[in-house]
Formats: sequence, C-alpha cells, structure tokens
Amino acid sequence: MTSELVAGPLSHGSARLANRFATPVRRRTFWLGLWAAAAAAEFGALAPVLFRHVPFEPVDVVFRLVGGSFAACGLIAWHRRPDNHSGRLMTATGFALFVTPLFSQLGAPLARTVALWLPDLWVLFFVPLVLTLLTGGRLRTRSDRALVGVIVFELLVLAPLWLMFSPEQGNLFLVAPDERIAGVVDTAQRAVFVAVPVATAGVLAARWRAASAPGRRALLPGVAGAACLLLFALLVVVGLVTGERSQLLLWVAACSLVSVPAAFLWGLLRSRLARGGLADLFRGLRTMRPGDLQAALARALGDPALLIAYPRHGDLGYVDGDGASVVLPDADGERSFSRVERDGDVVAVLVYDSSLDDDPELVEAIGGAAALALENAQLHAEAQARLAELEASRERIIAAADGERRRIERNLHDGAQQRLVTLALQLSLIQRQIRRDPGDAELLLTSAGDELSRSLEELRELARGIHPAALDSGLEPALDALVLRSAVPTTLSVVPGDRLPEPVQFAAYLVASEALTNVAKYANATAVTVRVTRDDGGVVIEIADDGVGGADPTRGSGLRGLTDRVEALGGRLRLASPVDGGTVVTAELPHRDQADVSH
Amino acid sequence: MRIAVADDAVLFREGLSRLLAEAGFEVTARVGDGPSLLAQVRADPPDVVVVDIRMPPTHTTEGLDAARAIHDDHPAIGVLVLSAHVEAAYALQLIEDGAVGAGYLLKERVSDLGELSDAVRRVAAGGLVIDPSVVASLVARKRLRNPLDDLTDRERDVLSVMAEGRSNQAISERLHLSPKTVEAYVRGVFTKLGLQQGADDNRRVLAVLAFLGR
Repeated sequence: MTSELVAGPLSHGSARLANRFATPVRRRTFWLGLWAAAAAAEFGALAPVLFRHVPFEPVDVVFRLVGGSFAACGLIAWHRRPDNHSGRLMTATGFALFVTPLFSQLGAPLARTVALWLPDLWVLFFVPLVLTLLTGGRLRTRSDRALVGVIVFELLVLAPLWLMFSPEQGNLFLVAPDERIAGVVDTAQRAVFVAVPVATAGVLAARWRAASAPGRRALLPGVAGAACLLLFALLVVVGLVTGERSQLLLWVAACSLVSVPAAFLWGLLRSRLARGGLADLFRGLRTMRPGDLQAALARALGDPALLIAYPRHGDLGYVDGDGASVVLPDADGERSFSRVERDGDVVAVLVYDSSLDDDPELVEAIGGAAALALENAQLHAEAQARLAELEASRERIIAAADGERRRIERNLHDGAQQRLVTLALQLSLIQRQIRRDPGDAELLLTSAGDELSRSLEELRELARGIHPAALDSGLEPALDALVLRSAVPTTLSVVPGDRLPEPVQFAAYLVASEALTNVAKYANATAVTVRVTRDDGGVVIEIADDGVGGADPTRGSGLRGLTDRVEALGGRLRLASPVDGGTVVTAELPHRDQADVSH
Repeated sequence: MRIAVADDAVLFREGLSRLLAEAGFEVTARVGDGPSLLAQVRADPPDVVVVDIRMPPTHTTEGLDAARAIHDDHPAIGVLVLSAHVEAAYALQLIEDGAVGAGYLLKERVSDLGELSDAVRRVAAGGLVIDPSVVASLVARKRLRNPLDDLTDRERDVLSVMAEGRSNQAISERLHLSPKTVEAYVRGVFTKLGLQQGADDNRRVLAVLAFLGR
C-alpha cells in the first residue's frame, strides 16, 4: 500500500494524522535500494556459515536471522507508515545487528575495529523503539531521553575507552594494553546493560498500567521488547556471577528478540484481521438501528469507548445518538477524531483512542463502510436533538406560565386584596368615629380614598401585565401605549399592514415590552426606536437603543422565555449587543396562517 | 386584655391596633414579621397574639409557623391567625396538634369589630375559632358517600356553627333555638355521624373538624 492511497475519501481532524501527508513520498527506487541492502546484508552475514564452512556458534545464526527479521518488518512498517518513526527504528535495529557480523568478516584493521566497537549498536535503536510505540517513534518524555543518553554514552565513551586498553587483534584504538583498566571499563559497560533494560522495563510497566485497551494493544511489542532486554540483563548478571556466558540464556534471549518484530507484525496483521471483521459489520449495517451503530463500530475498531458525534445542521455543534451535546476532543489528547463525509458533507465524527491513529486506514475503512448508516443515524440524532430542545422549551414555557400565575396570585393577595381589607378596616373605624370625632373621620376618609385609588391603579397594572387591552385594537395602539410609558424617550414606526394573528401580535408586543424594560434597567440609553416592518408572510419588530451594549443573551429568564415564544411561532429572536455599540433586539415572526385567521 | 399584633402592612397593622384599642384591648406590641413577634412574646407575653398568615420573607405561611412556635413555648397565649385564604388545610394545620386557644379568621372579618373582639376573647379563653367560610367549604365538600346527607337542614346548621368553635349557648343565640333544642340537635348530629361527644367544647370542635376534614 502506498501513502497516496491513505489520502482516501476522508479528511482527518487530528493534527497528528495530517503529519503523514506532509511526509515526502519516497520513490520506488528508495525502497528497492533498502530492500536490496537488507537482503545483501543478511546474505553477507549468513554466507560464511552457508558456503565457507567456517566454524561458528549456532546461536550466531539466530542473531543474524533476527537482524534480517527486524530489517524486513521495519521496512514494511516504515513503508506503511512513513510518518511513524517506529518503522525506521526497527529497520535501523536490524541493520545495526548486521554491523559486527559483517565487519568482522573483513580483514582490514579498520573494519575489525568497527566490529569490536559496535557489537551493541542495535541497543541504541532498539530501546527507543520499545519505548516509543505510543508516540510513533518520537522521544517525548525525559525518562526516554535519559535512557537513550546513557546508551549513547556507552557507545561513544565507554566502548572506545575499553578499546584503548584492550589488547584485541587489529584494534586501531589501542593506546596501551592494560587488562586491569579494560576489566574495570568492561564492568561499567555491563552495569549499563543491566541498568538500561531494568529501567526501560520499569517505564513500560508504568505505561502499561495507565494505558487504555487499544493503547495496550499498541504497547504489546514494547512489552515483548522489554522482556527481551530483561533476559539480556539477566545474561549479563549471570555472566558476572558465574564468570561464563550461559548458553541456554543466550539462546532464549536471542530467540526472544524475534518476538518484537513478530508482535509488531501481528499488530499490522491484526488491523487487517479487524478489517476482515468489517464484512460482518457491513452485513449488519443494513438492518441496524441507529442506537446499535456505535456499539458495532466500537467492536470493529476494538475501542469500547468509541463515540460517534453527529454534526447538527446550521453549525449548532455536535450531538450523540441520543441528541445530547458533545464536544470534540483537543488534538494531541488521549482521544482523536476523524470526520466521515458523504457527498462532501460531514455526516459524523468518530472519536476514538489516540493509539488508533497508528492505524488510520482501519478508522477510514470503518468510517467509509458505515458512511451511509452514519448519514441515517445523523438524521436520527438531529431529530433526537430537536425533540430534546422541543421538550426543554415546552418545560420552560410551562414553568414560565406557572411562574406568571404565581406572580399574579401574589400581586392580587399582597396588592389589591390587602388594600381592600385595609379599606374595610378603615370604613369600620370611620363608622365609629363619624359622630364622636368628625375631624378624625374626615382624615380617615381621605386615607381610605387614597387607598382605593392605589388599589385601582394596581389592578389596572396587573390586568395590563396579563394582557394589554389595547392589543384588542391592534399591535400599533398597544405599542403606542407601551412607548408612552417607556422610561427612555422612544420613537415608534410601524409599517401599516393587515391585521396580525393574535399570537403573533402578542409575541411582538411582549418582545417590545421586555426589550424596553431591559433598556430602562441596563442599557443607560438616551433614545430607543421601535420599528415594525413587514416582509413576505411575516412581521419583523426591532428595538434598538444607543446604550452601553454588551447585553448577555443568557442573562435572566425574560429573553429565554421570549425566544421560546417566538420559536414556538416558527420565528427567530436575535440579539446584537456589541460593547459600547447599543443593543438591537430583532424578532422575525412569520404568520403563514394569516389567510385562515382573516376569515 | 393584652394583645400583640403582627402584620407587615403598616396601614393595616395600625388600623387594626386602633380598632382593638377602641374595643377596649391593650395593644402591647406592633411588629412586621415572625421573628420580631416571637421576640416580643418572649420579652412581654401578651394574652393573645393576632398574626397575619403572610409575612416576610417568603409571604406564604410565616404566620402559621409563628403560631406553632408560640403554642409550643407559651401554651397559655391565644393565637388568632388572620388569613386571605379560605383554606381549610391551613385552619386544620393550626389545630391539628390539639392546640387550644387558636383561631383562623379571614382578614376581612376585622371590619366587624364585634366579631373580631369576640374571636379574640374566645382564643384568650382557650377556645377554638374557625372562620365560617372555612367551615362552609368543609361542609359543602363533595363526598363519595356523604354522611352529612343523613342530617336534617337544622342539624347541618348546628354542625356548622359547632365547627366554628361555638358553645351550645352561642349556637342557641345564633340560630334562635332554646338550649334544650340545641342539645337535642347536637346529640342527633353526633349519633348520626358516629362521633363521640367530647368532654368539653374544644374536644367537640376538634372531633367535628376532624370528621369534616377527613
């Protein structure tokens, strides 16, 4: 598979995935050259064993085959995922394993020296490979960098130092043969090869514990690698204690190395196997209900936490299958996402464990296979979301109506009724005083008269709050009365037109009333204009002030209640309120049923 | 007789205090909310408290809460709750713990000074006072099988006046009947409703209200 194919029909949300398209596409000759080099190296390393019948340790053959398997698996992985450094590291490990076998065959002293210097070069690539399976071969943490630093120190300082004092044949680095110093350096080198594997295994164990299920699958080759490293460390320890190399352990360690490319290949194959499961998914898709889709895709992707987010029409964000709001994760977090498109429209977004970014083809293939089902599910989710909104709005409307009834009851009890009771009481006092103390009775009468006027005023206000009587003669007279009472100088312009349906003109009146109340309370304005215009089959009312602006549409229940009322009529309420730029409230109210109402 | 008045509407509170003074009561405290009333009662216990049911902060049933607190701490003080609601539940709540010296009266009754001072005197004497409108709502209540249907009109009248907390003496005055006749009616009512005649007037009222509120 080439990387061009990966571009496929889907676009990706993750920045990490975008990287792969930035990787330069390599030429066919580049890969042919590398494969040829790997084959040549393997052949060269095995040639003396196969053809020259020189004496050799059987375990050396294993080591040379291990090198070949690393190089081959590494090249496959590198080719498949050019953006992922793991393939390169594995290829490098393979070639590094060939360095000493190949150079030791050459007679030249320089080659001999290199062979003596770099038998452990493979560790330099192998340890980062094992450590960085979750980060695509990139060293991200301090512990990773420290471990690699120790290996570099061993290769650049300790190994040459040992050569300076080691009386090996053809050693160009030799300064002064000294068995004692060479022995000390050798012990230091062995200590490094015990400490690094143990530390690497520790780091991996901690990562394994913290990893999600798909993350653990990605870590598997790393765990195998850490186990190999521990075997080599054990080999070194046993060597230090018993003074000889344990042949058994060496065999086990050498053979176990194969498990790393094997586990990696299994991971690649597993992807293909999962894609095999795609056929099952595909068969089930036709009869699948929208609610089961997420579980089916989660199974196919091997990520139980998979979430399908559906975009709402009109840039209203994302919702899950039940219509509940969903926020897409940030790039470079623990979750990644990938958009699924159909005919150029995003129909769904798959939100999955970031470790699946290593297998974008699988995510794409599954998204692609399910695109049609996802499109259906999106419509379903959209309907669910609308239903949820409708229910919420209905609950708010009921709550608002209840609140309004409570307000009216309280106003009646504490206002008019209380005043009338007081009036009754005053009349009783007047009755007693009228003969005994006419002057006092007169005072009481004045007070009672005031109380009566206030009762009437309160009742009038209350009635107007419930439903303004002026609306009976149309929207304009009602707005006239409203503007007359406005605390801020207000001008009214109404484009004349047919009589509006009752609910429409009441909604328009309430929008104006609430907006003017807010202007008086918050806007600090000097002038307000209320404008009523008509457009095709609808009326638009706009209340604009020259105040401080910065109104928060979520503040208070008044505007929310108005939005519900306007939307219940199929209209839209908009608020534009830039800081220091005044506030404009606009309500568009269609009245499709106007013809029916006029008859 | 010493009276504490609690109502948050100043004009009403002052008018009521003046009326009570006219009727010969001594108004010892005028307050606007429950906690001040309780403080006044503790500091200078009156014989009767007249309290509005709706007071700050929530304007719901603060008056009932204050009444219960006064009954608990000062059982000897009569409490007359004034209310804007014809709500039997509130009235029954007031007397449900077998409290004595308690009354539930509609606010507009204060315009009839005779009725008001009668109610004040009755709760001061440890009696029960239930507003006639509340009793009427209880008597008129629709029941699946209504034992009140077995009563004669006269018996129902007697039952109603009894439920307001009146004595036989008062019933005979109100309904223009001889004391002997009233006694006969009362016996008839209790027999037909299957109730036990209480040892005193209060128990009689409680039994009747409990029956009506069932």
